[in-house]
Amino acid sequence: MKHPTQATLALHAGGDLGLVARWRTDRHLGRCEQCREQVAAFLGLREVLADLNETPEISWKRLATEMKANIRLGLAAGECVRAEDKPLRNSLFSGARAAVAVASVLALVVTGLVLEHPGPGPANVDGVVVQSTRDGIQVQEGDRSLQLMHPSKQPVTYSVGAQGSMRARYVDPETGYVTINNVYAE
Amino acid sequence: MQSRSGLLFTNRLSVFGLLCASGLVAQDSLLDSRNAVKINIPQDAPVNFVSLTMGPSRATARGAALLLDLHMSLDLRNASPNRVRGVVLRVFAQEAAAGGKASVAVPSLNIGPNDTFPVRIDLQLMRPTQVAAGPVVQVDLDGVLFQDFSFYGPDRLNSHRLLTVWETEAQRDRQHFKRVLAQSGSEGLRREILSSLARQADQPQLDVRVIRRRTVSAAALAPDRMAQFAFVRFPDAPVEPLEGWAEISGGEARAPRIQVQNRSDQTVKYVEMAWLVTDPRGRQYMAASLPASDADLYLPPGKMAQLVQDTELRFSRRGEPVTIEKMTGFVSQVQFASGKVWVPNRQNLENAALLGVLAPSAEEQRLSALYLKRGLTGLTEELKRF
Repeated sequence: MKHPTQATLALHAGGDLGLVARWRTDRHLGRCEQCREQVAAFLGLREVLADLNETPEISWKRLATEMKANIRLGLAAGECVRAEDKPLRNSLFSGARAAVAVASVLALVVTGLVLEHPGPGPANVDGVVVQSTRDGIQVQEGDRSLQLMHPSKQPVTYSVGAQGSMRARYVDPETGYVTINNVYAE
Repeated sequence: MQSRSGLLFTNRLSVFGLLCASGLVAQDSLLDSRNAVKINIPQDAPVNFVSLTMGPSRATARGAALLLDLHMSLDLRNASPNRVRGVVLRVFAQEAAAGGKASVAVPSLNIGPNDTFPVRIDLQLMRPTQVAAGPVVQVDLDGVLFQDFSFYGPDRLNSHRLLTVWETEAQRDRQHFKRVLAQSGSEGLRREILSSLARQADQPQLDVRVIRRRTVSAAALAPDRMAQFAFVRFPDAPVEPLEGWAEISGGEARAPRIQVQNRSDQTVKYVEMAWLVTDPRGRQYMAASLPASDADLYLPPGKMAQLVQDTELRFSRRGEPVTIEKMTGFVSQVQFASGKVWVPNRQNLENAALLGVLAPSAEEQRLSALYLKRGLTGLTEELKRF
């Protein structure tokens, strides 16, 4: 199922979508609990933020630490109450299991080969390469590289300098600040 | 039923697989991140280093190389009596890539005296396993810009100009949204910010790879053709583009060069052109910016200069090379010898239908993200703070 973007859900929560987009989003929300929760979170956030405007000071750092601690506590509690694994059957190396084992070994060997001998690409260029990757921007020369990463779920604007530089700009979801990562080839 | 030898073979294979897997796991280890990072911010700097929070950082062996994952957040304090508008941190890793350097900039700030603010740095380094001891990464303060456009810092990465340009664009765009609010009220502001969000969502982005070659084989790089730039000219631009060319081979462009003339009455020390490309279907993309190659450009009134870059740019979209049909350029940034900068105004960009092609300014991006989170009230309040 293709989900609407975060921006669309946020706009829906604020009642800013046009008729068609609203109808399509409503239709999706009708059958997607995950997105419904996201919209509810946006709605909740707007209400909370309105209240926060009247709150003099909040220690965001302390709040974040407490939230992280609660999440860890939840995970630890989950581990404690998890049911024990089912005992293994005697026929440990039945046909299907053996096939899975062989496939795993093959996958490991192939992955190792790919990692050790990367295919033709920027690494083989006699010079410095600046490029965007799945979740960052990178300057690479031979087998050495430096990559600045950005949150993968945020919209990112890339810009390139013909002299050999690249920028990735995004709004930090935690601080709300615009952050601009730069890498340089020179 | 499985034979005994077959069973023995699968057993051995499985054990081999497990050994391989455990070997790979053993190569992945937690990094002593506190010793891996060195923060160099002078005690007397107007922005003080308060603390460093490290996230989970790892070192993973990849053949003969080591992949290092570092996640950190620096807390800085404004120790000056002035409001901070932007900051640039230089990230330096000599061992990672030859001369490999990077920076993390946070523009559009509004940090008052004694207030603290975080700067997040997430980086990944690939380097040989055998390297000298010492910190993996060093982080320096390259520059801080204040509300009155005063600047502090060593400025190794031209942070003074960059922060000044970003703040000038921020003032331009805040002014624009304030004007809309004053003239058309809250609903007008809502329409304007929604139209900005729609532009951002529809903006076509190219994947660009820039290559700076150490050695060049003329035969291997012979271009298919030379393409000429068409220019968009703004009436108030202090510098005028005259002519420009680039070598084109399919989805690759090399050695772009543009001749410009200073038509203002002030000496110019930096010029940057925006470079747009059009594909055969007529879709236009922002390809790159083309700055002056000469770091010490000195362009008195009436004089000409050439912006040249000896690099190779490969354009693609969704994994497919993009054929360059047409190239367009316009002056996007000028800095005078006095330090003041010129950027196109919104009217210029709107008239030339460039708003849909260019990325929004950092400030417009921040304000539209703020609208998504906090709604019209939050946006209006934010505009009043400046």
